[in-house]
Amino acid sequence: MPLHDVGYRAWNGERRPPGSAAAVIATTGIVLAWKSRWLRRAVLFAWSPALAFAMTFFAFEQAVEEGRLGMLEMTAQAGRDFDGVDLLGGLVVQTLGRPTDDQPDFLPGSTEEVDYTRRNVWSRLLLAFMRAPQAVLLAVVIGLVAPTLISRDMRAKAWLTYFTRPVSRRDYILGKAAVLAGVVAMVTVLPGLGLWLVGVLVSPSVNVAFATIDLPLKVMAASVVVAVPTVLLALAYSAVTTESRIAGFAWFATWAACWIAHSALGAAELMAHQPDPDAEQPPEVRGFLDEAFGRPPPGRGDRHERDRPMSWLARAAGLDSSIDTWAWVSPYHSVGVVQAAVFGMEQRPQAFLPPLISLTSISVISLVVLVRRVDAPMRS
Amino acid sequence: MHDAVSSDACPVELENVVKRYGTRTALDGVSLKVEPGITGLVGPNGAGKSTLVRTVLGLVKLASGRVRVFGLDPQRFPRQVRQQVGVVPEDESSVPGLTGVGMVRYAARLCGIPAGEALRRAHEVLDWCDAGQERYRPLETFSVGTRQKVAFAAAIVHDPPLIILDEPTNGLDPIERKAMLGRLVTLARDHGKTIFLCTHVLPDVQAICERAIVLAAGRVRLSGSIEELTRPALPMHRVEGTGPLEHLADSLSASGIAASLVRTNRGPAVEVATPLDGDTPAVLRAVCEHARHVGVGVRSFEPAQRPLEEVFIASLREAQAVQTSEELHAPA
Repeated sequence: MPLHDVGYRAWNGERRPPGSAAAVIATTGIVLAWKSRWLRRAVLFAWSPALAFAMTFFAFEQAVEEGRLGMLEMTAQAGRDFDGVDLLGGLVVQTLGRPTDDQPDFLPGSTEEVDYTRRNVWSRLLLAFMRAPQAVLLAVVIGLVAPTLISRDMRAKAWLTYFTRPVSRRDYILGKAAVLAGVVAMVTVLPGLGLWLVGVLVSPSVNVAFATIDLPLKVMAASVVVAVPTVLLALAYSAVTTESRIAGFAWFATWAACWIAHSALGAAELMAHQPDPDAEQPPEVRGFLDEAFGRPPPGRGDRHERDRPMSWLARAAGLDSSIDTWAWVSPYHSVGVVQAAVFGMEQRPQAFLPPLISLTSISVISLVVLVRRVDAPMRS
Repeated sequence: MHDAVSSDACPVELENVVKRYGTRTALDGVSLKVEPGITGLVGPNGAGKSTLVRTVLGLVKLASGRVRVFGLDPQRFPRQVRQQVGVVPEDESSVPGLTGVGMVRYAARLCGIPAGEALRRAHEVLDWCDAGQERYRPLETFSVGTRQKVAFAAAIVHDPPLIILDEPTNGLDPIERKAMLGRLVTLARDHGKTIFLCTHVLPDVQAICERAIVLAAGRVRLSGSIEELTRPALPMHRVEGTGPLEHLADSLSASGIAASLVRTNRGPAVEVATPLDGDTPAVLRAVCEHARHVGVGVRSFEPAQRPLEEVFIASLREAQAVQTSEELHAPA
């Protein structure tokens, strides 16, 4: 018998409150998931767009500090990019060049105007960041983590470990969802908050932090919008099979197929409503058609053109005023529209209600599947 | 209804429990009590043992009947009940990616033990289970025996008063098997645990259990103390010793005392009928006299027991006969 073997001893310590099992499942799940080299690489890669956006924040604040905001606006009026940050610069320029309808009249160059413009530009940058690169990267990162979360437990009969202990079905689902929510936080919330912090740090005054304090809250709310349906859908796929490969395939296939369906339906609708091929089309429509058919938009390269076609990022930033009627078909586009509503960039119910209903339906159906499936082996 | 565990209440009590899976009846009016100590649950494959374990844990919905674990209904208070129970499942169950000690620690934390304390406690029970340095390896690399040890450690890490073990000696070598049974006896005798042992290994049940329940086709066929169950129909004593035991049997038979040579797992022995009036000392005197006469050294003289296996097979045959008869008389 080893020296350190003290035999069996009773344990009378204080137990943690009921429900703490969810936190235990979540923390252990995150630790186990983080052991994957691929996940670490993917998260690192998912942070890379934040660097480009941080440069835009810096460039914007630099212009504000040097009193070049008015000049930027003129640049915007002229349709030029600014400060060499081409892609994102275009976004800022289009923001500046498109004052909102409810924009109050400010004295040119006043502090109020600067604050107003800053909020507008920051909001659009953060929204574009969350909608365009992060939503896509998030789908990839969740696709790496989620398929194994429940399916591997089912294959290894780990449900016996959980459900023979004081762990309820709710604890289990909450714990697993928290693992994915942690991933969502790593990919969207943290870099989003980081960008806001960068903006504050490079801004001329710390008061900017107080003036834009609602933006981090909006970042978190927008992350919840993306987290709830994606986490539940991914877990539901993981719960319906013991083969994580199948769950992974279903996950990526859903995103890809819905994206393709959305593009096809959008293009078909535009073609159906095309009144006259020779007539001048609104720039948004033209841009959409160009992108849908993969052809270069007319006037590309003409940097003096006033109304340039929307770039992917610019549309993600809510600069496209047209309503995406088929957004509800695709989770990616639905999430984007609802996030725009969270940031206050989309306030038309006819635009954000169908995607919201679509996401709610996905969440509810996934939750029902999940609740029925997680302890099904115990009941059989 | 109160939701506190009562330490005075019977650890497990089932009354007329019926569980059906579709048209198949897994438990058919099962009533039983598991008292403190070690109780063995034996039955053929498909007898309903695993369903019974799940019933005790409140994992399955019953068609009818009443279940109480330490006075609580496991359907209504699953968390409180499972806090009091440690389970070693028959099927291998693991959380992929964890090491042995990580698994036991995880089990402890799921039961509410704080993280630091859970690690200390995990090492303590793994030491007691003689898990050695293998505990630091991933679960997937374990041998069957080590997995069983880790599963056992995970079941007892939160110090539950009721321990349910489904085939705990599966895959263990004879030395490990003996050590495992020794641990169960220690837990029951020295720590007052109630142990419910589901197994096919009948000698294990006979060796360590105080009571046994035979379950077949979803019904309790036999239930009682091991002594009661294995008592022969007629009072008999068993004589073990050295020398020509067959001569002793012949000599006793010739003198009018019913005796026969039997083979037991401890070697040959002579079984001697004991008079119903209970005059055992007279029989013992006669046995000693005849033994001296034929040159046998008597080592022990104790009440004879039927092997549990024999009892088990007889009860199954009886159950089968009853079932056949019921099927024949059932209305078309």
